[in-house]
Amino acid sequence: MNKHHGSSLPYVFLLPPLLILAVLALVPTVGAIYLALRDRMLQYADSHFVWFENFSRLAADRRFLNAIKVSAQWEAVTVLGTLVVGVLLAVWLFEKTSPRTRNLLSVLLIIPVLLPRVSAAFLWKFMFSPLLGIVSWLLGFVGLGNVAFLSDPALALLAVAFVDVWQWGLFFAVIVLKLLETLPPEPLEAARIDYARSWEVYALVALPMLRAPLVSLALIKMIESLRSFDLIYVMTKGGPGIATETLDMYAYSQGIGLSGDISYASAMAVLMMVLTTALFTIIWKRAKKWQE
Amino acid sequence: MIHKNVARGKLAGRLSRTIGWLGLTLLVTVALFPVLWALLNSLKELMDIVSPTPRFLFRPTLDNYRQVLHTPEVLSGLYNSILVVGVAVGLGALLGVPAAYAIARYLFRRRDDVQFFVLSLRFLPPVAVAIPLMAIWIDLGVYDTRFSLIVTYLLTTLSTIIWLSIPAFQRVPREIEEAATIDGYGPYAVFWRIALPIASKTLLGGVVFSFVLVWNELMMALTLTSQQAATLPVIAATFTSMGQEVPWGVVNASTVLLALPPLVFLGLLSQLLNSMLKHR
Repeated sequence: MNKHHGSSLPYVFLLPPLLILAVLALVPTVGAIYLALRDRMLQYADSHFVWFENFSRLAADRRFLNAIKVSAQWEAVTVLGTLVVGVLLAVWLFEKTSPRTRNLLSVLLIIPVLLPRVSAAFLWKFMFSPLLGIVSWLLGFVGLGNVAFLSDPALALLAVAFVDVWQWGLFFAVIVLKLLETLPPEPLEAARIDYARSWEVYALVALPMLRAPLVSLALIKMIESLRSFDLIYVMTKGGPGIATETLDMYAYSQGIGLSGDISYASAMAVLMMVLTTALFTIIWKRAKKWQE
Repeated sequence: MIHKNVARGKLAGRLSRTIGWLGLTLLVTVALFPVLWALLNSLKELMDIVSPTPRFLFRPTLDNYRQVLHTPEVLSGLYNSILVVGVAVGLGALLGVPAAYAIARYLFRRRDDVQFFVLSLRFLPPVAVAIPLMAIWIDLGVYDTRFSLIVTYLLTTLSTIIWLSIPAFQRVPREIEEAATIDGYGPYAVFWRIALPIASKTLLGGVVFSFVLVWNELMMALTLTSQQAATLPVIAATFTSMGQEVPWGVVNASTVLLALPPLVFLGLLSQLLNSMLKHR
Protein backbone atom coordinates (compact mmCIF):
# COMPACT_ATOMS: atom_id res chain seq x y z
CA MET A 1 0.00 0.00 0.00
CA ASN A 2 2.95 2.28 -0.47
CA LYS A 3 1.03 4.22 -3.10
CA HIS A 4 -1.16 5.66 -0.39
CA HIS A 5 1.62 6.81 1.81
CA GLY A 6 0.35 10.36 2.00
CA SER A 7 -3.22 9.25 2.70
CA SER A 8 -5.18 10.62 5.62
CA LEU A 9 -6.78 7.22 6.26
CA PRO A 10 -4.57 6.01 9.11
CA TYR A 11 -5.08 9.26 11.04
CA VAL A 12 -8.83 9.35 10.51
CA PHE A 13 -9.22 5.66 11.35
CA LEU A 14 -6.79 5.47 14.26
CA LEU A 15 -6.84 8.70 16.21
CA PRO A 16 -10.41 8.64 17.59
CA PRO A 17 -10.43 5.01 18.82
CA LEU A 18 -6.90 5.08 20.23
CA LEU A 19 -7.63 8.37 21.97
CA ILE A 20 -10.83 6.96 23.47
CA LEU A 21 -9.01 3.82 24.61
CA ALA A 22 -6.17 5.82 26.11
CA VAL A 23 -8.60 8.03 28.07
CA LEU A 24 -10.72 5.06 29.14
CA ALA A 25 -7.63 3.23 30.39
CA LEU A 26 -5.90 6.24 31.92
CA VAL A 27 -8.85 7.64 33.87
CA PRO A 28 -9.44 4.59 36.08
CA THR A 29 -5.70 4.01 36.49
CA VAL A 30 -5.00 7.55 37.66
CA GLY A 31 -8.26 7.50 39.62
CA ALA A 32 -7.25 4.34 41.45
CA ILE A 33 -3.84 5.77 42.40
CA TYR A 34 -5.39 9.06 43.54
CA LEU A 35 -8.06 7.32 45.62
CA ALA A 36 -5.52 4.94 47.11
CA LEU A 37 -3.59 7.88 48.57
CA ARG A 38 -6.67 9.38 50.22
CA ASP A 39 -9.25 8.32 52.80
CA ARG A 40 -12.38 8.41 50.66
CA MET A 41 -15.43 6.60 51.96
CA LEU A 42 -18.15 5.77 49.48
CA GLN A 43 -20.87 7.81 51.18
CA TYR A 44 -18.85 10.99 51.86
CA ALA A 45 -17.47 13.30 49.21
CA ASP A 46 -14.82 14.99 51.36
CA SER A 47 -11.54 13.19 51.86
CA HIS A 48 -7.89 13.95 52.61
CA PHE A 49 -4.50 12.76 51.56
CA VAL A 50 -3.24 10.04 53.86
CA TRP A 51 -0.43 9.06 51.47
CA PHE A 52 0.67 5.49 52.06
CA GLU A 53 -1.47 4.68 55.05
CA ASN A 54 -3.78 2.42 53.04
CA PHE A 55 -0.83 0.43 51.78
CA SER A 56 0.68 -0.03 55.23
CA ARG A 57 -2.75 -1.14 56.46
CA LEU A 58 -2.77 -3.72 53.67
CA ALA A 59 0.60 -5.07 54.68
CA ALA A 60 -0.77 -5.87 58.13
CA ASP A 61 -4.13 -7.18 56.95
CA ARG A 62 -4.34 -10.93 57.37
CA ARG A 63 -7.50 -11.16 55.31
CA PHE A 64 -5.59 -9.50 52.45
CA LEU A 65 -2.76 -12.01 52.78
CA ASN A 66 -5.35 -14.78 52.76
CA ALA A 67 -6.84 -13.29 49.56
CA ILE A 68 -3.41 -13.39 47.91
CA LYS A 69 -3.07 -17.03 48.90
CA VAL A 70 -6.55 -17.92 47.64
CA SER A 71 -5.93 -16.07 44.36
CA ALA A 72 -2.65 -17.93 43.84
CA GLN A 73 -4.35 -21.27 44.55
CA TRP A 74 -7.20 -20.33 42.23
CA GLU A 75 -4.78 -19.43 39.42
CA ALA A 76 -2.78 -22.63 39.87
CA VAL A 77 -5.78 -24.96 39.96
CA THR A 78 -7.76 -23.39 37.14
CA VAL A 79 -4.88 -22.74 34.74
CA LEU A 80 -3.33 -26.18 35.21
CA GLY A 81 -6.73 -27.88 35.25
CA THR A 82 -7.80 -26.20 32.02
CA LEU A 83 -4.57 -27.00 30.21
CA VAL A 84 -4.42 -30.61 31.36
CA VAL A 85 -8.07 -31.30 30.55
CA GLY A 86 -7.76 -29.45 27.25
CA VAL A 87 -4.65 -31.27 26.05
CA LEU A 88 -5.60 -34.78 27.23
CA LEU A 89 -9.11 -34.54 25.85
CA ALA A 90 -7.89 -33.13 22.54
CA VAL A 91 -5.30 -35.89 22.08
CA TRP A 92 -7.87 -38.53 22.93
CA LEU A 93 -10.42 -37.11 20.48
CA PHE A 94 -7.75 -36.72 17.80
CA GLU A 95 -6.82 -40.39 18.15
CA LYS A 96 -10.29 -41.85 18.40
CA THR A 97 -12.69 -39.84 16.28
CA SER A 98 -13.30 -39.11 12.63
CA PRO A 99 -13.12 -35.50 11.39
CA ARG A 100 -16.93 -35.51 11.01
CA THR A 101 -17.53 -36.46 14.63
CA ARG A 102 -14.94 -33.90 15.68
CA ASN A 103 -16.73 -31.06 13.93
CA LEU A 104 -19.98 -31.86 15.69
CA LEU A 105 -18.19 -32.30 19.02
CA SER A 106 -16.36 -29.01 18.73
CA VAL A 107 -19.65 -27.14 18.36
CA LEU A 108 -21.09 -28.94 21.40
CA LEU A 109 -18.02 -28.50 23.60
CA ILE A 110 -17.89 -24.72 23.28
CA ILE A 111 -21.38 -24.35 24.71
CA PRO A 112 -20.22 -24.22 28.35
CA VAL A 113 -17.74 -21.38 27.76
CA LEU A 114 -20.39 -19.27 26.02
CA LEU A 115 -22.74 -19.49 28.98
CA PRO A 116 -22.80 -16.36 31.09
CA ARG A 117 -20.79 -17.00 34.24
CA VAL A 118 -23.87 -16.15 36.26
CA SER A 119 -25.83 -18.92 34.54
CA ALA A 120 -22.99 -21.44 34.74
CA ALA A 121 -22.41 -20.61 38.40
CA PHE A 122 -26.06 -20.92 39.29
CA LEU A 123 -26.71 -24.19 37.53
CA TRP A 124 -23.73 -25.86 39.20
CA LYS A 125 -24.55 -24.30 42.55
CA PHE A 126 -27.97 -25.88 42.23
CA MET A 127 -26.52 -29.24 41.17
CA PHE A 128 -23.99 -29.15 44.03
CA SER A 129 -26.60 -28.38 46.66
CA PRO A 130 -26.55 -31.17 49.29
CA LEU A 131 -30.33 -31.53 49.61
CA LEU A 132 -31.72 -30.78 46.16
CA GLY A 133 -28.69 -31.34 43.98
CA ILE A 134 -28.32 -34.10 41.47
CA VAL A 135 -24.61 -34.48 42.26
CA SER A 136 -25.39 -35.55 45.82
CA TRP A 137 -28.06 -37.89 44.51
CA LEU A 138 -25.57 -39.49 42.11
CA LEU A 139 -22.89 -39.73 44.79
CA GLY A 140 -25.46 -41.45 46.98
CA PHE A 141 -25.15 -44.52 44.76
CA VAL A 142 -21.51 -44.90 45.74
CA GLY A 143 -22.26 -44.19 49.37
CA LEU A 144 -21.13 -40.56 49.42
CA GLY A 145 -24.43 -38.75 49.83
CA ASN A 146 -24.96 -35.17 51.02
CA VAL A 147 -21.52 -33.70 50.53
CA ALA A 148 -21.84 -29.95 51.10
CA PHE A 149 -19.37 -28.95 48.42
CA LEU A 150 -19.88 -25.21 48.65
CA SER A 151 -20.09 -24.85 52.41
CA ASP A 152 -17.08 -27.01 53.23
CA PRO A 153 -13.98 -24.79 53.50
CA ALA A 154 -11.78 -27.62 52.25
CA LEU A 155 -13.90 -28.28 49.15
CA ALA A 156 -15.45 -24.95 48.18
CA LEU A 157 -12.54 -23.56 46.14
CA LEU A 158 -12.11 -26.85 44.31
CA ALA A 159 -15.84 -27.04 43.58
CA VAL A 160 -15.85 -23.53 42.09
CA ALA A 161 -12.64 -24.27 40.17
CA PHE A 162 -14.33 -27.39 38.80
CA VAL A 163 -16.96 -25.19 37.17
CA ASP A 164 -14.26 -22.96 35.69
CA VAL A 165 -12.43 -25.97 34.26
CA TRP A 166 -15.75 -27.36 32.98
CA GLN A 167 -16.22 -24.14 31.01
CA TRP A 168 -12.65 -23.54 29.84
CA GLY A 169 -11.15 -27.04 29.71
CA LEU A 170 -13.72 -28.25 27.20
CA PHE A 171 -13.23 -25.09 25.14
CA PHE A 172 -9.44 -25.51 25.17
CA ALA A 173 -9.88 -29.13 24.09
CA VAL A 174 -11.62 -27.85 20.97
CA ILE A 175 -8.84 -25.37 20.25
CA VAL A 176 -6.03 -27.89 20.81
CA LEU A 177 -7.91 -30.42 18.66
CA LYS A 178 -8.08 -27.90 15.81
CA LEU A 179 -4.39 -27.12 16.30
CA LEU A 180 -3.52 -30.82 16.09
CA GLU A 181 -5.43 -30.97 12.81
CA THR A 182 -3.22 -28.23 11.35
CA LEU A 183 -0.03 -30.23 11.94
CA PRO A 184 1.70 -31.69 8.87
CA PRO A 185 1.11 -35.46 8.86
CA GLU A 186 4.62 -36.57 7.79
CA PRO A 187 6.53 -36.02 11.08
CA LEU A 188 3.73 -37.76 12.97
CA GLU A 189 3.84 -40.75 10.63
CA ALA A 190 7.60 -40.95 11.07
CA ALA A 191 7.25 -40.71 14.83
CA ARG A 192 4.72 -43.54 14.85
CA ILE A 193 7.42 -45.78 13.41
CA ASP A 194 10.04 -44.60 15.93
CA TYR A 195 7.91 -44.77 19.04
CA ALA A 196 5.90 -47.73 20.11
CA ARG A 197 3.35 -45.95 22.22
CA SER A 198 1.06 -43.29 20.89
CA TRP A 199 1.38 -41.08 23.98
CA GLU A 200 5.09 -40.78 23.16
CA VAL A 201 4.24 -39.55 19.68
CA TYR A 202 2.20 -36.75 21.22
CA ALA A 203 4.43 -35.93 24.18
CA LEU A 204 7.67 -35.92 22.19
CA VAL A 205 6.61 -34.81 18.71
CA ALA A 206 3.13 -33.36 18.25
CA LEU A 207 2.79 -31.15 21.32
CA PRO A 208 6.31 -29.65 21.10
CA MET A 209 5.39 -28.55 17.57
CA LEU A 210 2.48 -26.67 19.09
CA ARG A 211 4.55 -25.01 21.78
CA ALA A 212 3.89 -21.44 20.61
CA PRO A 213 0.08 -21.62 20.51
CA LEU A 214 0.01 -23.61 23.75
CA VAL A 215 2.01 -20.86 25.45
CA SER A 216 -0.51 -18.30 24.18
CA LEU A 217 -3.36 -20.42 25.48
CA ALA A 218 -1.77 -20.64 28.92
CA LEU A 219 -1.30 -16.88 28.89
CA ILE A 220 -4.91 -16.23 27.92
CA LYS A 221 -6.15 -18.58 30.63
CA MET A 222 -3.97 -16.90 33.28
CA ILE A 223 -5.61 -13.60 32.44
CA GLU A 224 -9.10 -15.05 32.25
CA SER A 225 -8.66 -16.74 35.61
CA LEU A 226 -8.06 -13.32 37.14
CA ARG A 227 -11.56 -12.33 36.09
CA SER A 228 -13.49 -15.02 37.90
CA PHE A 229 -15.35 -12.68 40.21
CA ASP A 230 -18.75 -13.59 38.73
CA LEU A 231 -18.32 -17.31 39.33
CA ILE A 232 -17.23 -16.88 42.94
CA TYR A 233 -19.77 -14.16 43.64
CA VAL A 234 -22.72 -16.32 42.64
CA MET A 235 -21.46 -19.64 44.02
CA THR A 236 -19.93 -18.73 47.39
CA LYS A 237 -19.62 -14.94 47.80
CA GLY A 238 -16.10 -15.68 49.06
CA GLY A 239 -17.29 -18.07 51.75
CA PRO A 240 -17.52 -20.19 53.74
CA GLY A 241 -15.75 -17.64 55.92
CA ILE A 242 -12.98 -16.42 53.66
CA ALA A 243 -12.15 -19.79 52.11
CA THR A 244 -12.84 -18.66 48.53
CA GLU A 245 -12.17 -14.95 48.92
CA THR A 246 -9.89 -13.94 46.05
CA LEU A 247 -8.30 -10.51 45.70
CA ASP A 248 -11.08 -9.06 43.56
CA MET A 249 -13.75 -10.51 45.86
CA TYR A 250 -12.06 -8.92 48.89
CA ALA A 251 -11.55 -5.60 47.12
CA TYR A 252 -15.20 -5.64 46.11
CA SER A 253 -16.44 -6.34 49.62
CA GLN A 254 -14.19 -3.63 51.10
CA GLY A 255 -15.02 -0.99 48.52
CA ILE A 256 -18.64 -1.62 47.71
CA GLY A 257 -19.91 -4.03 50.32
CA LEU A 258 -20.76 -3.03 53.86
CA SER A 259 -17.72 -0.92 54.67
CA GLY A 260 -17.59 1.27 51.55
CA ASP A 261 -13.91 1.99 52.16
CA ILE A 262 -13.27 2.89 48.57
CA SER A 263 -9.75 4.16 49.19
CA TYR A 264 -8.66 0.96 50.85
CA ALA A 265 -10.15 -1.03 47.97
CA SER A 266 -8.34 1.25 45.52
CA ALA A 267 -5.00 0.57 47.22
CA MET A 268 -5.67 -3.10 46.60
CA ALA A 269 -6.66 -2.34 43.02
CA VAL A 270 -3.40 -0.46 42.46
CA LEU A 271 -1.38 -3.42 43.75
CA MET A 272 -3.35 -5.75 41.48
CA MET A 273 -2.70 -3.50 38.49
CA VAL A 274 1.03 -3.39 39.18
CA LEU A 275 1.11 -7.15 39.64
CA THR A 276 -0.85 -8.05 36.51
CA THR A 277 0.96 -5.49 34.35
CA ALA A 278 4.32 -6.84 35.45
CA LEU A 279 3.19 -10.42 34.91
CA PHE A 280 1.67 -9.62 31.54
CA THR A 281 4.75 -7.76 30.28
CA ILE A 282 7.14 -10.51 31.34
CA ILE A 283 5.00 -13.25 29.84
CA TRP A 284 4.37 -11.29 26.63
CA LYS A 285 8.11 -10.91 26.08
CA ARG A 286 8.77 -14.54 26.97
CA ALA A 287 5.93 -15.72 24.77
CA LYS A 288 7.33 -13.75 21.83
CA LYS A 289 10.66 -15.47 22.35
CA TRP A 290 9.12 -18.94 22.68
CA GLN A 291 7.05 -18.38 19.61
CA GLU A 292 10.08 -17.88 17.41
CA MET B 1 -4.36 -70.62 16.56
CA ILE B 2 -4.54 -68.00 13.85
CA HIS B 3 -8.32 -68.07 13.84
CA LYS B 4 -8.40 -67.61 17.55
CA ASN B 5 -6.15 -64.57 17.36
CA VAL B 6 -8.21 -62.98 14.63
CA ALA B 7 -11.35 -63.56 16.64
CA ARG B 8 -9.70 -62.11 19.71
CA GLY B 9 -8.51 -59.11 17.70
CA LYS B 10 -12.02 -58.51 16.42
CA LEU B 11 -13.40 -58.75 19.90
CA ALA B 12 -10.79 -56.36 21.24
CA GLY B 13 -11.53 -53.95 18.40
CA ARG B 14 -15.23 -54.02 19.12
CA LEU B 15 -14.59 -53.63 22.82
CA SER B 16 -12.35 -50.61 22.37
CA ARG B 17 -14.84 -49.06 19.96
CA THR B 18 -17.61 -49.56 22.52
CA ILE B 19 -15.47 -48.02 25.24
CA GLY B 20 -14.72 -45.14 22.89
CA TRP B 21 -18.42 -44.51 22.29
CA LEU B 22 -19.15 -44.74 25.98
CA GLY B 23 -16.39 -42.21 26.63
CA LEU B 24 -17.75 -39.84 24.01
CA THR B 25 -21.26 -40.13 25.38
CA LEU B 26 -19.99 -39.43 28.87
CA LEU B 27 -18.05 -36.40 27.62
CA VAL B 28 -21.04 -34.91 25.84
CA THR B 29 -23.20 -35.59 28.89
CA VAL B 30 -20.78 -33.80 31.21
CA ALA B 31 -20.60 -30.88 28.77
CA LEU B 32 -24.31 -30.47 28.14
CA PHE B 33 -26.22 -32.04 31.01
CA PRO B 34 -26.03 -29.00 33.33
CA VAL B 35 -27.52 -26.79 30.64
CA LEU B 36 -30.29 -29.25 29.81
CA TRP B 37 -30.97 -29.79 33.49
CA ALA B 38 -31.47 -26.06 34.04
CA LEU B 39 -33.76 -26.00 31.01
CA LEU B 40 -35.79 -28.93 32.39
CA ASN B 41 -35.98 -27.35 35.83
CA SER B 42 -37.20 -24.11 34.31
CA LEU B 43 -40.17 -26.06 32.93
CA LYS B 44 -41.04 -27.72 36.25
CA GLU B 45 -43.37 -26.73 39.01
CA LEU B 46 -41.67 -26.00 42.31
CA MET B 47 -42.86 -29.31 43.75
CA ASP B 48 -41.04 -31.24 41.02
CA ILE B 49 -37.81 -29.26 41.46
CA VAL B 50 -37.38 -29.65 45.20
CA SER B 51 -38.06 -33.37 45.27
CA PRO B 52 -35.11 -35.22 46.86
CA THR B 53 -34.94 -37.68 43.94
CA PRO B 54 -34.45 -35.82 40.69
CA ARG B 55 -37.51 -36.02 38.45
CA PHE B 56 -36.93 -36.55 34.76
CA LEU B 57 -40.59 -37.08 33.96
CA PHE B 58 -43.03 -34.37 34.91
CA ARG B 59 -45.80 -32.27 33.49
CA PRO B 60 -44.05 -29.30 31.85
CA THR B 61 -45.30 -25.80 32.48
CA LEU B 62 -44.40 -22.38 31.15
CA ASP B 63 -45.45 -20.70 34.39
CA ASN B 64 -41.89 -19.88 35.40
CA TYR B 65 -41.27 -18.03 32.16
CA ARG B 66 -44.60 -16.27 32.45
CA GLN B 67 -43.64 -15.20 35.96
CA VAL B 68 -40.13 -14.10 34.90
CA LEU B 69 -41.51 -11.98 32.11
CA HIS B 70 -43.94 -10.35 34.51
CA THR B 71 -41.21 -9.40 36.99
CA PRO B 72 -40.51 -5.68 36.49
CA GLU B 73 -36.82 -6.06 37.51
CA VAL B 74 -36.25 -8.72 34.88
CA LEU B 75 -37.94 -6.69 32.18
CA SER B 76 -35.97 -3.56 32.97
CA GLY B 77 -32.78 -5.65 33.23
CA LEU B 78 -33.47 -7.14 29.83
CA TYR B 79 -34.15 -3.71 28.37
CA ASN B 80 -30.96 -2.28 29.92
CA SER B 81 -28.86 -5.21 28.75
CA ILE B 82 -30.09 -4.94 25.17
CA LEU B 83 -29.63 -1.18 25.06
CA VAL B 84 -26.28 -0.92 26.86
CA VAL B 85 -24.69 -3.92 25.17
CA GLY B 86 -26.13 -2.97 21.79
CA VAL B 87 -24.80 0.58 21.85
CA ALA B 88 -21.41 -0.39 23.31
CA VAL B 89 -20.92 -3.08 20.66
CA GLY B 90 -22.21 -0.84 17.86
CA LEU B 91 -19.84 1.98 18.78
CA GLY B 92 -17.03 -0.52 19.29
CA ALA B 93 -17.53 -1.90 15.79
CA LEU B 94 -17.91 1.52 14.19
CA LEU B 95 -14.63 2.74 15.66
CA GLY B 96 -12.77 -0.53 16.04
CA VAL B 97 -13.07 -2.13 12.60
CA PRO B 98 -11.55 0.84 10.69
CA ALA B 99 -8.84 1.14 13.36
CA ALA B 100 -7.94 -2.51 12.90
CA TYR B 101 -7.70 -1.98 9.15
CA ALA B 102 -5.37 0.98 9.60
CA ILE B 103 -3.19 -1.04 11.98
CA ALA B 104 -3.13 -4.06 9.65
CA ARG B 105 -2.33 -2.12 6.48
CA TYR B 106 -0.57 1.12 7.42
CA LEU B 107 1.17 0.77 10.75
CA PHE B 108 4.01 -1.52 9.76
CA ARG B 109 6.57 -0.45 12.29
CA ARG B 110 4.41 0.34 15.26
CA ARG B 111 2.00 -2.53 14.84
CA ASP B 112 3.48 -4.54 17.69
CA ASP B 113 3.32 -1.59 20.09
CA VAL B 114 -0.28 -0.80 19.26
CA GLN B 115 -1.26 -4.45 19.51
CA PHE B 116 0.48 -4.68 22.87
CA PHE B 117 -1.35 -1.58 24.09
CA VAL B 118 -4.75 -2.81 22.93
CA LEU B 119 -4.22 -6.25 24.37
CA SER B 120 -2.90 -4.89 27.66
CA LEU B 121 -6.29 -3.25 28.22
CA ARG B 122 -7.81 -6.72 28.46
CA PHE B 123 -5.39 -7.35 31.29
CA LEU B 124 -6.60 -4.60 33.60
CA PRO B 125 -8.27 -6.32 36.56
CA PRO B 126 -12.00 -5.47 36.25
CA VAL B 127 -12.17 -4.60 39.93
CA ALA B 128 -9.33 -2.12 39.47
CA VAL B 129 -11.32 -0.38 36.74
CA ALA B 130 -14.70 -0.59 38.44
CA ILE B 131 -13.81 0.88 41.84
CA PRO B 132 -12.28 4.20 40.71
CA LEU B 133 -14.88 4.54 37.95
CA MET B 134 -17.60 4.15 40.55
CA ALA B 135 -16.22 7.13 42.51
CA ILE B 136 -15.80 9.14 39.32
CA TRP B 137 -19.32 8.41 38.06
CA ILE B 138 -20.73 9.32 41.49
CA ASP B 139 -18.83 12.63 41.52
CA LEU B 140 -19.97 13.44 38.00
CA GLY B 141 -23.56 12.60 38.90
CA VAL B 142 -23.93 9.87 36.26
CA TYR B 143 -23.66 6.84 38.55
CA ASP B 144 -26.24 4.12 37.81
CA THR B 145 -27.00 5.41 34.31
CA ARG B 146 -26.95 3.48 31.08
CA PHE B 147 -24.66 6.16 29.68
CA SER B 148 -21.86 5.51 32.17
CA LEU B 149 -22.12 1.75 31.71
CA ILE B 150 -21.94 2.12 27.91
CA VAL B 151 -18.78 4.23 28.23
CA THR B 152 -17.27 1.64 30.58
CA TYR B 153 -18.11 -1.27 28.28
CA LEU B 154 -16.68 0.59 25.29
CA LEU B 155 -13.24 -0.18 26.75
CA THR B 156 -13.95 -3.91 26.40
CA THR B 157 -15.78 -3.91 23.09
CA LEU B 158 -13.44 -1.52 21.31
CA SER B 159 -10.23 -3.29 22.36
CA THR B 160 -11.64 -6.77 21.66
CA ILE B 161 -12.95 -5.81 18.23
CA ILE B 162 -9.65 -4.17 17.23
CA TRP B 163 -7.68 -7.15 18.51
CA LEU B 164 -9.79 -9.73 16.61
CA SER B 165 -10.15 -7.67 13.43
CA ILE B 166 -6.44 -7.06 12.76
CA PRO B 167 -5.79 -10.67 11.62
CA ALA B 168 -9.00 -10.62 9.56
CA PHE B 169 -7.66 -7.70 7.52
CA GLN B 170 -4.15 -9.13 7.34
CA ARG B 171 -5.62 -12.15 5.60
CA VAL B 172 -7.17 -10.10 2.79
CA PRO B 173 -4.85 -10.72 -0.17
CA ARG B 174 -2.77 -7.61 -0.75
CA GLU B 175 -2.83 -8.14 -4.53
CA ILE B 176 -6.57 -7.58 -4.68
CA GLU B 177 -6.21 -4.25 -2.91
CA GLU B 178 -3.33 -3.27 -5.16
CA ALA B 179 -5.31 -4.16 -8.25
CA ALA B 180 -8.16 -1.97 -7.03
CA THR B 181 -5.73 0.89 -6.48
CA ILE B 182 -4.49 0.57 -10.04
CA ASP B 183 -8.12 0.66 -11.16
CA GLY B 184 -8.33 4.09 -9.58
CA TYR B 185 -9.83 3.31 -6.15
CA GLY B 186 -8.80 5.71 -3.40
CA PRO B 187 -7.70 4.34 -0.01
CA TYR B 188 -11.16 4.77 1.54
CA ALA B 189 -12.83 3.04 -1.40
CA VAL B 190 -10.35 0.17 -1.10
CA PHE B 191 -11.29 -0.23 2.56
CA TRP B 192 -15.02 0.12 2.04
CA ARG B 193 -15.55 -1.79 -1.21
CA ILE B 194 -12.73 -4.36 -1.17
CA ALA B 195 -11.25 -5.14 2.27
CA LEU B 196 -14.43 -4.86 4.31
CA PRO B 197 -16.56 -7.25 2.19
CA ILE B 198 -13.74 -9.81 1.94
CA ALA B 199 -13.04 -9.80 5.68
CA SER B 200 -16.68 -9.42 6.71
CA LYS B 201 -17.29 -12.96 7.95
CA THR B 202 -14.43 -12.96 10.44
CA LEU B 203 -15.19 -9.36 11.39
CA LEU B 204 -18.76 -10.29 12.22
CA GLY B 205 -17.48 -13.14 14.38
CA GLY B 206 -15.26 -10.73 16.32
CA VAL B 207 -18.12 -8.30 16.87
CA VAL B 208 -20.37 -11.11 18.08
CA PHE B 209 -17.62 -12.31 20.41
CA SER B 210 -17.38 -8.86 22.00
CA PHE B 211 -21.17 -8.89 22.33
CA VAL B 212 -21.00 -12.17 24.26
CA LEU B 213 -18.26 -10.78 26.53
CA VAL B 214 -20.25 -7.76 27.69
CA TRP B 215 -23.61 -9.52 27.63
CA ASN B 216 -22.18 -12.01 30.15
CA GLU B 217 -20.40 -9.37 32.24
CA LEU B 218 -21.31 -9.09 35.92
CA MET B 219 -18.56 -7.36 37.93
CA MET B 220 -18.69 -3.89 36.31
CA ALA B 221 -22.46 -3.87 36.04
CA LEU B 222 -22.81 -4.88 39.68
CA THR B 223 -20.44 -2.12 40.79
CA LEU B 224 -21.58 0.67 38.49
CA THR B 225 -25.34 0.25 38.69
CA SER B 226 -27.83 -0.18 41.50
CA GLN B 227 -31.39 -0.08 40.09
CA GLN B 228 -31.91 2.24 37.16
CA ALA B 229 -29.30 0.74 34.85
CA ALA B 230 -28.92 -2.77 36.30
CA THR B 231 -28.40 -5.34 33.54
CA LEU B 232 -29.81 -8.85 33.33
CA PRO B 233 -26.74 -10.58 34.86
CA VAL B 234 -27.06 -8.30 37.91
CA ILE B 235 -30.74 -9.20 38.30
CA ALA B 236 -30.02 -12.91 37.82
CA ALA B 237 -27.16 -12.75 40.34
CA THR B 238 -29.39 -11.16 42.98
CA PHE B 239 -32.01 -13.85 42.32
CA THR B 240 -29.50 -16.67 42.59
CA SER B 241 -28.09 -15.54 45.92
CA MET B 242 -31.40 -15.02 47.65
CA GLY B 243 -31.94 -16.54 51.06
CA GLN B 244 -34.77 -18.79 52.20
CA GLU B 245 -37.85 -18.90 50.03
CA VAL B 246 -36.13 -19.28 46.70
CA PRO B 247 -38.46 -19.53 43.71
CA TRP B 248 -36.22 -22.12 42.06
CA GLY B 249 -38.24 -22.39 38.89
CA VAL B 250 -38.10 -18.66 38.31
CA VAL B 251 -34.36 -18.55 38.97
CA ASN B 252 -33.81 -21.41 36.52
CA ALA B 253 -35.94 -19.64 33.94
CA SER B 254 -34.03 -16.37 34.31
CA THR B 255 -30.63 -18.06 34.00
CA VAL B 256 -31.86 -19.83 30.87
CA LEU B 257 -33.14 -16.53 29.50
CA LEU B 258 -29.78 -14.91 30.22
CA ALA B 259 -27.88 -17.73 28.51
CA LEU B 260 -30.01 -17.73 25.38
CA PRO B 261 -28.49 -14.86 23.33
CA PRO B 262 -24.88 -16.14 23.49
CA LEU B 263 -26.04 -19.62 22.48
CA VAL B 264 -27.90 -18.22 19.49
CA PHE B 265 -24.52 -17.20 18.08
CA LEU B 266 -22.98 -20.64 18.60
CA GLY B 267 -22.55 -21.35 14.88
CA LEU B 268 -21.01 -17.97 14.11
CA LEU B 269 -18.53 -18.20 16.96
CA SER B 270 -17.36 -21.68 16.07
CA GLN B 271 -16.76 -20.35 12.56
CA LEU B 272 -14.69 -17.51 13.99
CA LEU B 273 -12.67 -20.06 15.93
CA ASN B 274 -12.09 -22.09 12.76
CA SER B 275 -11.00 -19.09 10.73
CA MET B 276 -8.63 -17.91 13.46
CA LEU B 277 -6.90 -21.27 13.81
CA LYS B 278 -6.73 -22.30 10.18
CA HIS B 279 -4.34 -19.69 8.83
CA ARG B 280 -1.80 -19.79 11.59
